[in-house]
Amino acid sequence: MQLFMQTLVGGIGFGAVYALVGMGFTIVYRTMGLVNFAHGQIAMIGAFLSATFFLDTKLPFAVAAIMSMAATAVVGLVIEGILRPLEARDFDLMLIGTLGFGVVLEAVATRIWGATGRAVPAPVDRPLQVFGIIIRTYDLVVIGVGAVAAVAVWVLLNRTKAGAAMQAVAMDRDAATSVGIRVGRSNAMAFALGAGLAALAGTLAAPLLYVTPSLGSSLGIKGFCAAILGGFGNINGAVIGGLAFGILDGFAAGHFQQYSDTVTFLVFAIAIMVRPTGILGELTVNRA
Amino acid sequence: MKVTTTSRQWQLAVAACSVLVVISGCSSSKKTTGSSTSSAGAAAGTTAAGSAPASGSAPSSAASAAGASATVSDTSPIKIAVIDAQSGQSSSLGKWEYDGVKLAVDQANAAGGINGRKVELTVFDDQGDPTVSTNLARKAVSDGFIAVLGPAESADAIAMSPIFQQAKIPYITSGQSPAMPKLGDPYLFLNSPTSTTYDTTLANYAVKTANFTKIAMISNNGAYGKGEHDAFTAALKALNVTPVADQIVTPDQTDFSAALTSIRQKNPDALFIGAEEVESGLIAKQARGLGIKATIIGAAPTSTPIFVQTAGTANAEGAVSSTPYLTNDTNAQTKAFAAAYDAAYGSEPELHGAKAYDGAEIMLQGLKTTNGAGGQALDDAIRAVKYQGLVGNFAFDSTGVGVHETQIGIIKNGVLTAAAS
Repeated sequence: MQLFMQTLVGGIGFGAVYALVGMGFTIVYRTMGLVNFAHGQIAMIGAFLSATFFLDTKLPFAVAAIMSMAATAVVGLVIEGILRPLEARDFDLMLIGTLGFGVVLEAVATRIWGATGRAVPAPVDRPLQVFGIIIRTYDLVVIGVGAVAAVAVWVLLNRTKAGAAMQAVAMDRDAATSVGIRVGRSNAMAFALGAGLAALAGTLAAPLLYVTPSLGSSLGIKGFCAAILGGFGNINGAVIGGLAFGILDGFAAGHFQQYSDTVTFLVFAIAIMVRPTGILGELTVNRA
Repeated sequence: MKVTTTSRQWQLAVAACSVLVVISGCSSSKKTTGSSTSSAGAAAGTTAAGSAPASGSAPSSAASAAGASATVSDTSPIKIAVIDAQSGQSSSLGKWEYDGVKLAVDQANAAGGINGRKVELTVFDDQGDPTVSTNLARKAVSDGFIAVLGPAESADAIAMSPIFQQAKIPYITSGQSPAMPKLGDPYLFLNSPTSTTYDTTLANYAVKTANFTKIAMISNNGAYGKGEHDAFTAALKALNVTPVADQIVTPDQTDFSAALTSIRQKNPDALFIGAEEVESGLIAKQARGLGIKATIIGAAPTSTPIFVQTAGTANAEGAVSSTPYLTNDTNAQTKAFAAAYDAAYGSEPELHGAKAYDGAEIMLQGLKTTNGAGGQALDDAIRAVKYQGLVGNFAFDSTGVGVHETQIGIIKNGVLTAAAS
């Protein structure tokens, strides 16, 4: 029982991280219709930035996280600005452009922070004991922050004008322009929001894993799979998919040791074959 | 302007090709074939492969050699390659090895070289990847290097063995996997004891001296980790002890909560870690985070500053390490080495730099005997070397192992100190 509960909590913790990565993906997709292949690398940059703020300038973890989110959002704005001319002209080139940006970000991170990477201590590291079950306190922090972020994003998208504008642009870009929505600014905001979420995911994952330039690819792949599992384009789906993927990953690691990745992705592939639209169904965006 | 389907497809193809070029450009730039590092004033020539002239104050006799095939003239430099991980997670190993080797070579060149010929080092980055090191081994052969120092990764050393064996190029590696002496490669030498030695000493300490009764094991399934796992299990078996847990992880893994949770269930008093420096540090950190209070025990990786840094000083406290090189203050030889290392690099040396230095010294002695020639003669000369090194007394056996004992150290306040036995 203890093993089960511990694995479950750990799985939900990672699930929250994947949910955040998936949410960031999905927001950019829903508002711009763009699948951002650099998303994992943006999360990695966020992780490195917060590690630097937390460890080198000795800021408290929460402050380091917020500063990293802000800085990474700026990086997101820069990327969107560079890719924007392609958006109206040839959308597929913009897609490939994000792939290129992923490579660039990884190389830049290696230049700035070196290839070996750094370990980040968790801000709270004493394990909790609840009914004889040892739980990593930090796992609960991750779950809590992830939940707050998910709610905040939902409120932003469904209850604010800016969010409504983002969704309108996704539905029909020309109609949105004709009712006075500034598409370029809305897209920039969406990208920045996505980047901020990615940075939060990377920051939270850093004490659980190890911050290296290759952190981006593993987080990116798993976050992408989480988004697909929950229903691509569906933000609630990204959350559900993230949690499901995290729990799957946790239990696979517990039972299959070194083959856990094989098992996880095998189960994911089968799940997608059985239900290609994902758990909550997809909401694809038409970029006609 | 209407974009037609065919021109759109063509644009896509161009974009895809340019991305592929960017990706291959970025990754091949990591494989720096002969990265030129600034020689710290000493006369050793480290050159970029193929073109740039030797930096530093090399005498005129050395100038002719760049890119030329290995014609043995009386004054041409002796070409030695250092093949190691200079990037990636094992890059610290590569850097330590290169620093140790370069110190030895710089000192030798300053003292006149090998009978008047300078030794020229060229560094190759194998990224800790056996595929890359195989390619680099072929390149070293075709570029006329007569000896190789490195790599630090056992898997890479094993991968390069057939190529060097065929080309008759002796190489001294810092790896320690027992799989290497088993190869029966007469051109492979180890500057370190094998995992068998490390772990026998460690097991004896754990069971007989520290009286641990419940020992859990966690190791990775790479060449080094597997060697550690097998050696430690065998050593425990010889003492009639069975480990209470035996978890296997992968070398790139960064989350060990599943394996550690399962280990925690068994309530061990000692946790053996068979993984490289960074991974060992992460395992120790996460073990403490999950409430595992067992003493961490391991071989060389748990003795390094990288382990302490990655785990965090508090989590590394009390970790036991089996290593042939405890501190820089052990004797006059180590003190002199540490002083020279500090003067050259501004930092304190540790085990990996020391064994690389020993390996380079032995290689240089071999070259002196053969007067700069390579091949079988150099191989025999190296095997005949009897050398009192920093990590032990070297006497190579037929399998290439030179040192056969280690000692026990304990991390106190982030620093490795000798254990009271």
